[in-house]
Amino acid sequence: MNPTTTTNTSDPTPAGPPAAPAGPAGAPAGRTPAQPDVLGGWTARLAAWGPPIRRLLRHRGALAGLVIVALFVGMAVFAPWLTHYDPRNGELADRLQPPSPAHILGTDYSGRDMFARLVYGARLSLEVGLITVGLALVAGTLWGAVAGYVGGWFDLFSMRVVDVMLAFPSLLLAILMIAILGPSLMNAMLAVGVVAIPNYVRLVRSVVLGVKEAEFVEAARAEGASHLAVLFRHVLPNAMAPVLVQATLGIATAILDTAGLSFLGLGADARTPEWGSMLAHSKEYFRSASWTMTYPGLAIMIVVLGFNLLGDGLRDALDPKLKR
Amino acid sequence: MARRTSAWLGALMAVAMLTLAACGGGAAPSAGKSEPGSEATSEGGQQGQVTLVWGRGGDSVGLDPANVTDGESLKVTEQIFDTLLQFQGDTTNVGPGLATGCEANQDATEWTCTLREGVKFQDGTPFNAEAVKFNFDRWMNSKNPYRFQGEDFGYYAYMFGGFDDKSVIKSVDVIDDTHVKFTLRNPLAPFLQNLAMAPFAIASPTAIQKYGADFFKNPVGTGPFKFVRWDKDSQIVLARNDNYWGDPAKVDQLVFRVIPDNSERLLELQSGTIHFADGISPSDVPTIKSDPNLQLFLRPANDIGYLAFNTEKPPFNNKKVRQAFNMAIDKQAIVNAFYGDLGQVANTPLPPNMWGHSNLQDYPYDPDQAKKLLQEAHFDFSKTYELWAMSNPRPYFPEPTKIAEAIAQDLAKIGVQVKIVTFDWSTYLSKTENGEHTMALLGWIGDNGDPDNFLYVLLDKDNATKGSAGNIAFYKSDALHQLLIKAQQTPDQATRTQLYEQAQQIIHEDAPWVPLVYAQDPVAASAKVQGYVPSPLGLEQLNHVSLSK
Repeated sequence: MNPTTTTNTSDPTPAGPPAAPAGPAGAPAGRTPAQPDVLGGWTARLAAWGPPIRRLLRHRGALAGLVIVALFVGMAVFAPWLTHYDPRNGELADRLQPPSPAHILGTDYSGRDMFARLVYGARLSLEVGLITVGLALVAGTLWGAVAGYVGGWFDLFSMRVVDVMLAFPSLLLAILMIAILGPSLMNAMLAVGVVAIPNYVRLVRSVVLGVKEAEFVEAARAEGASHLAVLFRHVLPNAMAPVLVQATLGIATAILDTAGLSFLGLGADARTPEWGSMLAHSKEYFRSASWTMTYPGLAIMIVVLGFNLLGDGLRDALDPKLKR
Repeated sequence: MARRTSAWLGALMAVAMLTLAACGGGAAPSAGKSEPGSEATSEGGQQGQVTLVWGRGGDSVGLDPANVTDGESLKVTEQIFDTLLQFQGDTTNVGPGLATGCEANQDATEWTCTLREGVKFQDGTPFNAEAVKFNFDRWMNSKNPYRFQGEDFGYYAYMFGGFDDKSVIKSVDVIDDTHVKFTLRNPLAPFLQNLAMAPFAIASPTAIQKYGADFFKNPVGTGPFKFVRWDKDSQIVLARNDNYWGDPAKVDQLVFRVIPDNSERLLELQSGTIHFADGISPSDVPTIKSDPNLQLFLRPANDIGYLAFNTEKPPFNNKKVRQAFNMAIDKQAIVNAFYGDLGQVANTPLPPNMWGHSNLQDYPYDPDQAKKLLQEAHFDFSKTYELWAMSNPRPYFPEPTKIAEAIAQDLAKIGVQVKIVTFDWSTYLSKTENGEHTMALLGWIGDNGDPDNFLYVLLDKDNATKGSAGNIAFYKSDALHQLLIKAQQTPDQATRTQLYEQAQQIIHEDAPWVPLVYAQDPVAASAKVQGYVPSPLGLEQLNHVSLSK
């Protein structure tokens, strides 16, 4: 197709963080420093990520978020090594025991170890977050990119559909979908994912609209690049930063929404170690065995907070207009 | 900064307004609530009246006992009306009521009842054989002129086989003022028990003629209390019947108040605005027991909570699988966990206080043996099996889904994977009656203290019709059917006991159910309440109840 693609390093805004290097003060804006083209675009691209990462690490909130998210991911990944209890089945005789050395966070109404359920719940929540956001991100980005790039009646139509979807509170729309599909964790994830699509459509479309008339795009067109190549190689990379921020925040929303649906009895069943479902089924014991509700509630709160902090930090770090 | 401040102010104001609204909302109904109390406070306010208040979860449907089937209606009609025979105290034994006794002929197809003399309905109409005949004719003849629009007398059909030609009672004849004769098409062993059931209370013929289709709002009977007023969804007010033939009521007024929320009802009991609260959840029992101002009554267990297999669907068409599941579920642990002192492990479908209950040896809790049996039956361990549970608490299952989880946990130990499925109560009933389940939790509360009311309704092949099944195991045993029909037509209780014991043995062997629990229904009352005796049937006349200072 286009044999000279390596030249695209000269795009003003290559991958990810729009090139507004805030590194050494007074660096000429726009063009990345003249680097030899030998190594391809990669060094330049990686270099472009440097300043934002540094900014991120200097951002106190983002750092806290990063730590929380890392702990959460660690819990999810290493769940089987962190506990030897079965999160789905317990001993009825051990029910509602307060925290003790044997059960460090106590047991629930079925005698299941709360810590095991929390840890495996983290795994489930991570899965939920990644799958729903993955679904929304891929579908939303494609849709938004095409709508923005093609324009015309397709754009008009897409935006009206998105408007309609955004007009409903997202949880309400998700409940509607589950009412049609039937309650299960899979359907809850699907519903939460679909409901999040319009955010990405809007976001990506606006970025695409912004850059599709830019000179470097025109240049690529002039070089004979196909629409597809232009869209994916030159236009879409500009959307990566905002989409990354949106996705990080989106994981928080997805975890919260899925927990909410499970709490309403529309998601995971009672035996699945899903945080929202744990919360819902422990309600009656709040006064007599508060730990059965406190820990899943705290877990949801902390993880959602972590992703939100990280997302906010990312937004600040990736903001090209931010100059310190 | 300025914008932030105003946002904070706005939030504060919103909170303040919400708080105010909540207070207002709380204050208004409580002002309304104090009304019945202020008319006649429990300690005898104005005119020295004593009012007894019973708090419950739902309102009555109607006050014509023959036309309702729900406990909330019958609880009230029981105060206004009397039955020919009555259940005695905390038993299901039948004793004299409006009739002092009933005599059968040789083959138990004719019963002659002797009626109490000098009894009058609350409207002054004399109670006599004519009145009894009037009531029974109205229930059993579908073309009776005093059957009004919307009246179906469901319980009559249920207990006496149907209307007109299907009715077990062929005719009711007046012999003289105090003697009435029932002619049956075939013997019906629980006949006297049925006569004592709350729906078959005798109403004033004059009142029925006078009020017509509105009789259900203007009930007139012979009972210890007479009807005063019914404020829909709020309260029903009754007053003492001073001409009552039995022990006159010890309080001047009896009020049934509707308080839907369980915790609110308990709070009102604690604060003394009501004297009784039913629908108590087992988890609140310790609170009530530890409160010196309250007392707890337990109805003797007269119910069964069970797990039914759909014996028409594989793998539960295999007896070995059903027996294995019986051995895999740790019933004692479930009872300890969810019922505390209010439950007892079930070994047969019949509650332990009922005559005919067999003490047969239950399947032991033995997961190893269960697993072995399943392997013998070539059970498919790779599949996930559905276990259904109702979403709402019932007296026999205070926490149905959690009990289902406990069962799933036990089954997981023998390698059986179970998925719990729930539906709301009415959907649940219709789906299980239609046989859509493979395993389902369900229960039964006895109506009349006769084993027939359990075994025939819940396990006979006659009741295994899809769509209206009482027998949701769809268990069809000819041997059992013969025993149950024979027991229905045998008058002698000792013989019937033997028949029912054999029947339970057959059921035990075939294992269409896992009988799980016999549960007691708790009623909480103020410590001032005296003389209350809870009946296993869920209703009782309150004329013996008094309030101490």
